[in-house]
Amino acid sequence: MFDLSVVALIAALVVGMVFGWLLRQKRQMRLDRVTVVVIVVLIFSLGFSIGSNSELLESMPRIGLSAVVMTALAVTFSVVFVALARRKVKLG
Amino acid sequence: MIKYILAALVAGGVAGYLNSGFGSPLASVVVSDYLFNWSLVALLFVMGMAFGLDREAVAKFKRAGSKILVVPAAVAGGSLLGGLVSGWVLGLDVFASMAVCGGYGWYTLAGPLAGQILGAEWGARGLAVNLLRELVTIAAVSLLVRVDRYGPVAAGGATTMDTTLPVIVRYCGTDVLVAAFVSGFILSIAAPITIITITTLT
Repeated sequence: MFDLSVVALIAALVVGMVFGWLLRQKRQMRLDRVTVVVIVVLIFSLGFSIGSNSELLESMPRIGLSAVVMTALAVTFSVVFVALARRKVKLG
Repeated sequence: MIKYILAALVAGGVAGYLNSGFGSPLASVVVSDYLFNWSLVALLFVMGMAFGLDREAVAKFKRAGSKILVVPAAVAGGSLLGGLVSGWVLGLDVFASMAVCGGYGWYTLAGPLAGQILGAEWGARGLAVNLLRELVTIAAVSLLVRVDRYGPVAAGGATTMDTTLPVIVRYCGTDVLVAAFVSGFILSIAAPITIITITTLT
């Protein structure tokens, strides 16, 4: 049911959180630069996978359109749900 | 930050395109598999560490009180319903569509994570949906705040702890700052868990 990669991904998050929690009393740690490097490498390799797939490149307009619809609905329902929740719970 | 990310995306896309034409299959395996998987694991580890290190988060959560949890809960519910309905309307895999909307705007995570689990097509959608979410929040903040004072916080999702926070505070006032940060923080931790959980269910 679980493949190894999914377990590895959750483990990375949890181990990172525990690490951070244990180190939080130590001197200020600067993770910003490491994060930027990791994100740039990650997005480059995602771009590489997309660019390598010519079928995927051809269907980009359709994928972009579906993304617009998904974003619009996700944002709309989020705003409506929060507005409704705010009527039940006073948040100030 | 977004400049570097877009430059990396375009550079990666061009490199991948050229490589598929007259490059080596080895480069493709190295970049698309090893580099991709390891940097994704590294991102989750580094971000997990950042969450654990954040002393401010606990203090802000205490200040806001536990009722603040209704905001991220409502955003998560709304995002997933949005994913469900849009997946159904567009005739796509409904679970994949929900998973991608479960990135709550954190596109540097949702794109690669969806790509890793569901393939490059959903990786592209995950990136686009969540990048658009951040851009819409910034572009439409003055409209959103008129719908509801917490409208920009709802739209921003996970991004309200950092990238969209300055804009939100400017339009919603400083008294929304703590709520926006706490909601964004909780949704940021929830995003990888949501995506992995939903994709595992299929």
